[in-house]
Amino acid sequence: MNWSLLFESYANVFTSIQVIGMAFLGSLGGILLGAVPGMTATMGVALLIPFSFGMDLIPSIALLLGIYCGGMYGGSISAILIHAPGTPSAAATLLDGYPMCQKGQAGRALSIAMFASFCGGVLGALVMTFLSPMVAKMAMKFTSAEMLMLAFFGLSVIVSISGKSIAKGLISAFFGLLLATVGQDPTYGAKRFIFGFRPLLSGFSFIPTLIGLFAIAEVIAGVERIINGEEKQQKSEEKITNVLPDFSTIKKIWPNIISGGLIGTLIGAIPGAGGDIAVFVSYGFNKSSSKHPELWGTGIPNGVAATESANNGCSGGAMIPLLSLGVPGDAVTAVLLGAFIMKGIQPGPMMYVNELPTVYRVFAALMLANLTMLIVGCAGVRFFAKIVSLDKKMLYPIILVVSLLGAFSINKNVFDVGVCVLFGVIGYLMNKFEFPLSPILLALILGPMCEQNFVRFVDVNNGNFWEILHRPIAVGFFLVSVATILFSIYNQQKINKKESENRKKANGEVSRIP
Amino acid sequence: MKKTQTKAFTNLICSIILLIFEIWAYTETMDFKVHKRAFVQPATFPQIMICGMAIFTVILFLQSCIKLTRGMKPEDPENEMSASINPFTNRGVAAALFVIILCILYTLLFDKLGYVLVSACVSVIIMWLIGKRDLKVIIPVSILVPLIMWFIFYKLLTVNIPMGVFQPLRDLVDKI
Repeated sequence: MNWSLLFESYANVFTSIQVIGMAFLGSLGGILLGAVPGMTATMGVALLIPFSFGMDLIPSIALLLGIYCGGMYGGSISAILIHAPGTPSAAATLLDGYPMCQKGQAGRALSIAMFASFCGGVLGALVMTFLSPMVAKMAMKFTSAEMLMLAFFGLSVIVSISGKSIAKGLISAFFGLLLATVGQDPTYGAKRFIFGFRPLLSGFSFIPTLIGLFAIAEVIAGVERIINGEEKQQKSEEKITNVLPDFSTIKKIWPNIISGGLIGTLIGAIPGAGGDIAVFVSYGFNKSSSKHPELWGTGIPNGVAATESANNGCSGGAMIPLLSLGVPGDAVTAVLLGAFIMKGIQPGPMMYVNELPTVYRVFAALMLANLTMLIVGCAGVRFFAKIVSLDKKMLYPIILVVSLLGAFSINKNVFDVGVCVLFGVIGYLMNKFEFPLSPILLALILGPMCEQNFVRFVDVNNGNFWEILHRPIAVGFFLVSVATILFSIYNQQKINKKESENRKKANGEVSRIP
Repeated sequence: MKKTQTKAFTNLICSIILLIFEIWAYTETMDFKVHKRAFVQPATFPQIMICGMAIFTVILFLQSCIKLTRGMKPEDPENEMSASINPFTNRGVAAALFVIILCILYTLLFDKLGYVLVSACVSVIIMWLIGKRDLKVIIPVSILVPLIMWFIFYKLLTVNIPMGVFQPLRDLVDKI
């Protein structure tokens, strides 16, 4: 590594007013875009590409990376405050973020999300700076066998996010995997479960499904609670003295931030696997390794930290294959690849030889984008936290119309609004009968990846699936998945036992009251 | 509390409904196109998923049966009262059902009447339904929120949203 060139590049980027200004603008836009359900960082980057035509490479990359990092944090704002993840990468943040908000700790949850997002992003940027050639080399060894087992590993997390009933969690997961098969078969184009309805040919779009399952279901349930007098109006009485988490909180959450950031970076480095998978893997891993897994899902800072650091860690991870091999790690980096090509630079191994100063400046721009995201986020925490004190009777209709517009805007298609409403009803009913929703989401993300790689692997090996045993990385993933499943079952049983004892105690106390 | 009001009983009913759904879905997969040279047929993956779902549905069914026949301890979470879905006995469920119907109408009228009008109407109705009576607040909020959202999406994010009867407004904004 050329240290003097690296420091020079960092100094150039951090002293350029234009680059700093663009990073700020990008972060602000990314946070605002990410907070609207349905608007993703990918969409933001794609929208702003034309605006970066006239700029130099580094300011334009800083603008786009600002949107990328800002969007990752922005998605958590609506997940924490209104139970509607703004982006798929924030889907796991609501598992603990929303309960924290319900406890009156919205500001704390937001500041933890922002801080974890920043740390994850910095960790990703550092890994990208120092280990990118090595990580990229490892990630590129992944063939269909490894990708299949990676998907299986992602699915193994379902057990730990299933809640009280593992059977119900797995039913939800298989239902999600089945839903993922609706439309044309990815290999032969055969029609599956479309019943002559043409818009179903491309299956259910992920974002309308996500918005429906969480935002619309929450609105329907919220209306029911208000009518039954069960809805409590939250008042933002929480005094936000520090926009960053205090030292004692940081002490508690730092292991989750580090592990989440590393998981995010590693998963982000694998082409085709992004923040949406990383957050669930990080949540499952951190929950399983926690001393108090029973507290996860009840609104603890560790849950928010584990997921938020993972999703922004992905931003650094996804840049690794882009810069080292010219292969985008996710949808946003695919758009970024276009930006590089537009400027006459072809990312890939030769970039490290011919354009090393540019590579280092991109590293610095990512670091800067994370820093500006933190500053913009800090400035906004107090404002965002006030949203929860809005009258729920006004907030629910607003969430409904904004969410349905978000669903429409993905493909500019009314069919997606219908899909969103359908999944809203499904989500409402599943919540009512205590079937967890997160496994469906994870299954919808991993289902297509699982099927495509399964079919590809079996076809390549002439129908011999057991050839997978000759792939050491795939076998490693399989063993880790099995260990995760067994450990999660053991943990869940421990949680159920503890809860049962608590109930017994509570019942005993009630019966003693004369 | 009657056994039929417990969560265990609800789970039993849910598992029966799910089993019927799985049988139906499996029979549907039999009609999928078959490719002679393919090692994995288009129906294979959905069938594996349905079988997986069926296994855990049977487990849920058996768990519920055992709990209902052998009896449950008072601290058993399955012994709690299950959530109601009867709109005739629960006003909250009736309101939720009404919101679902509104959402369906919203989808059907989205293209014809346009986003702003449909959203404003739905907002007013829901706010009124859940007890907000201050018209000075309801009407401006219901109109302004969809209008602002439309403006942001249309002008800043270049998403073309159906405006229906408010089409002249779009023309006006375009002219400005």
